[in-house]
Amino acid sequence: MTATESAKPTTAQTNGQTNGQSNGTHQIGRSVTRIDALEKVTGRAQYAADLFLPGMCYGVFKRSPHAHARIVSIDTSEAEKMPGVVAVITAMTLSKDMASVVEEEMHATRKVVSLFPNIGEKVKYEGAKVAAVAAVSREIAFEASERIKVEYEVLPPVTDVREAIKEGASQINEDSQPADALPDGPFAGHPIYNVAGQNHRAEGDVEAGFKAADRIFEDTYVIPRAHQTYIEPQTTVADCAPDGKVNVWTSTQGHFATRSNLANSLRIPASRINVHGMTIGGGFGAKFGGIVDTYCVLLAMKAHRPVKIVYTRAEEFLDARPAPGAVITVKTGVKNDGTIVARQAWALWDTGSGSGGCYATSRVKGVYKIEHFKLDAYDVNTNKPAPGAYRAPGAPQATFAGEAQINRIAHELRIDPVELRLRNMREGEQIAFKETLSAVAERAGWAQRTKGAHEGWGVAVGEWTNGAGPAGALVSVHEDGKARVFYGLMDITGTDTAMAQIAAEVLGIKYEDVTVSRGDTDSAPFGTASGGSVVTFSYGNAVKRAAEDARDRILELAAEHLEASVEDLEVSDGKVTVKGNPEASVTLAQLGQMSLRSRNGPIVGRGSFSSEPSATTIAAQIARVKLDPETGQLRLLGAYGSLDVGKSINPMACEGQMEGGLVQGFSWGMMEQMQWREDGRNWNPGLLDYRVPTSLDFPDLETVMVEQPTKNGPFGVKGIGEPPIAPGIAVISSAIADATGVWINEAPFTPERVLAAIKSKAS
Amino acid sequence: MSQSADGLHGAGHTAEGPAPPAAVEQLHAVRLMVNGAAHTLALEPRHTLLDTLRADLELTGTKKVCDMGDCGACTVLVDGRAMYSCLLLAIECQGREITTIEGLARDGELDPVQRAFVEADAFQCGFCTPGQIMSLRALLNETAAPSEADIMRAVTGNLCRCGAYVNILKAGRRAAELAAAPREAGSPGETLPAGEAR
Repeated sequence: MTATESAKPTTAQTNGQTNGQSNGTHQIGRSVTRIDALEKVTGRAQYAADLFLPGMCYGVFKRSPHAHARIVSIDTSEAEKMPGVVAVITAMTLSKDMASVVEEEMHATRKVVSLFPNIGEKVKYEGAKVAAVAAVSREIAFEASERIKVEYEVLPPVTDVREAIKEGASQINEDSQPADALPDGPFAGHPIYNVAGQNHRAEGDVEAGFKAADRIFEDTYVIPRAHQTYIEPQTTVADCAPDGKVNVWTSTQGHFATRSNLANSLRIPASRINVHGMTIGGGFGAKFGGIVDTYCVLLAMKAHRPVKIVYTRAEEFLDARPAPGAVITVKTGVKNDGTIVARQAWALWDTGSGSGGCYATSRVKGVYKIEHFKLDAYDVNTNKPAPGAYRAPGAPQATFAGEAQINRIAHELRIDPVELRLRNMREGEQIAFKETLSAVAERAGWAQRTKGAHEGWGVAVGEWTNGAGPAGALVSVHEDGKARVFYGLMDITGTDTAMAQIAAEVLGIKYEDVTVSRGDTDSAPFGTASGGSVVTFSYGNAVKRAAEDARDRILELAAEHLEASVEDLEVSDGKVTVKGNPEASVTLAQLGQMSLRSRNGPIVGRGSFSSEPSATTIAAQIARVKLDPETGQLRLLGAYGSLDVGKSINPMACEGQMEGGLVQGFSWGMMEQMQWREDGRNWNPGLLDYRVPTSLDFPDLETVMVEQPTKNGPFGVKGIGEPPIAPGIAVISSAIADATGVWINEAPFTPERVLAAIKSKAS
Repeated sequence: MSQSADGLHGAGHTAEGPAPPAAVEQLHAVRLMVNGAAHTLALEPRHTLLDTLRADLELTGTKKVCDMGDCGACTVLVDGRAMYSCLLLAIECQGREITTIEGLARDGELDPVQRAFVEADAFQCGFCTPGQIMSLRALLNETAAPSEADIMRAVTGNLCRCGAYVNILKAGRRAAELAAAPREAGSPGETLPAGEAR
């Protein structure tokens, strides 16, 4: 297939030889060893739970066993009497402790909620926090929490959004007003109850569009809530000094975000809080603070001792912030030649006791030129935990609805699904949709594909555009000629390495000669949180500018020393040389030493970035599956992903993101679902029952990168962490349909569902 | 999934310390051989090997994730074999040789499995990495020339949520090569960092 000159598919060099060996001057576009490799393979990396402070106590929560209940009374007296208990907090103690709310700021959602329900208020999901206890040991804290007596008036729960919107359903948030009835769609004609948010959009005239269409398709897709399942649990250690200074060591994607949330919750100035971002063991959107840190600080304030809280895996499933589920109906009108003329969507997002899902419904439109588009979407309350961001929040759900139906349309019209997409895709400056899809089709051998019995091929694309946020960085060059990057970036995976490469590139030194250090919030310049695929785009610009600033100083010093003008100098291989005269040179080490005695002092470059728009990108993926007709078990025979990365700084790390996102997207389609019983109790709060993939599920996968640079990204970088999760569910559903002839519209496609599909086809 | 007395799922499982009852049980002198060093500790019999390693011996490279044998993050070697340290009591490990991730590198040189993980970029967040490495170390202890299926099976009990499985399997193959071949001089990432991590 064709690829334009500016958007060439490239393959990462990931063999052992390229690792850590940089010998040219180009430090970007190289697969170098991760900067944190040694500390991670030796067990030295310090995660939050690895911190043990002298005198440290342990915090645990008292949680509601009911999904929906009103608090009648809370009696903590027995717990407080227990030897070893140092602090007990409930809604009743909080006015004295100043805090009454906690904010969770994520790139997708922002909420203000009560820390605990007060007497007469409600718990809205199983596992909701009612009180917290700190004690000298975990065992004592747990025993004390058991001795807290809570009396509940149990209320009927509601767990299905399609029931929750009906008149007469339990009202979860009592101040919520029903939304006006819609004139059309699957829930037309009735007011919509338990609404926590709305999103409506209309472009063109869908009625006219449907009239102009040759064929109309309408399908309803159901996506379960999925848990980010970061392997490291939510963890915080907090300590409050006698002078009021609060120190927090935590697992967070953004320590400045954590600081501002804490300041807002505790109503104290941000400068009184110092947040130390520890090495993070996965977040995927779910670690922006609020889940344990505020409680930990309140306990530490009350106990006058350091307190540590580490979530158990069961607590993760009961009371973290998993992705929202959704029920999405899509209606699409097409011409017989495959031209999409109109699309309409109605969506109910399962946002538990909170909100934040329906905003993503516009992704149902996909990457296609569609003149007439309309959507009506609602966040609906159920008796489940509030939602949080999960890698490209809302995109996998909405993309499943949009892309699964594109595949069905292609099947019905007997048009190749890759071809149908290429015919309808948007084009534009800095966009490489067609090249990206073509690249994966070529890699997978799509055009020549063959299949055996019970085998099928599936394809889908998912769009995402990275965000941007404020970031500062300092780059200093020392008297040994080596450089250091200093900033407030939380490296969720591989970005410190990319930043070292960027600084090295600008300074004309080897990547190995750059070290990176992350400051706590007291020391580092402000940096946005690592979410929304913002990091390499935003911090990359800041680091590039800081390195350029340092390079200006280097050139100024060299010009003086070499008695040349700055314009005649070049920086490479660790030295500054007069162009055309290799004899006239001075090393960065010499310049670093000279700088200490120079008029302007040591070499410290500063760089800051606020926000500039990026350009959109897609991940395109293909799966080849084989089904066991006896058991319904699905096995991946091949998985292929492509992504327009703009410009790859470290191809090996880009591949890692493409693979990781693909695995998470596919597994949402293959096995992942949080389940609740009718009484609102969580059905599978553990890693045995909530299935995530093992090495057996993804033995191999192939990726191919496309590079269509964006104007505002450093060297053309686009944010790439999130997009690869988007198409997964749709890819798997279409592969199953290709194998069975049945479209399963409810994810995940478990053996039971696949078997039922095979049987329904046979009968 | 078990339920505790008040009916709340799994509430009895604490992430940093063993489950109730709270009353302190009688302490026992427990002698453990960890990474070649002998330690005598006064422990309650209910203390898991995992908690003992992390809290008492400050060997925090071994990670606690599920505390019930579902994830493999706490994998250590016991007499050379891969075991979940959350499912062992410290007291039953007396007289057995325990190796943790901190004990793999010898004389400042990484174990071939660790070198292979660096070379193959076999991790992202790194939280499951010590467990993955210990599982593959155990495999190489058992067989010098593991098959593809052996490697895949060796890490099936180690969940990696970042989805780095392709590279973990690659690292398994590379580790077998490295272990079999004499060490290549000057290969990257072969020595422990001196001072600051870079």
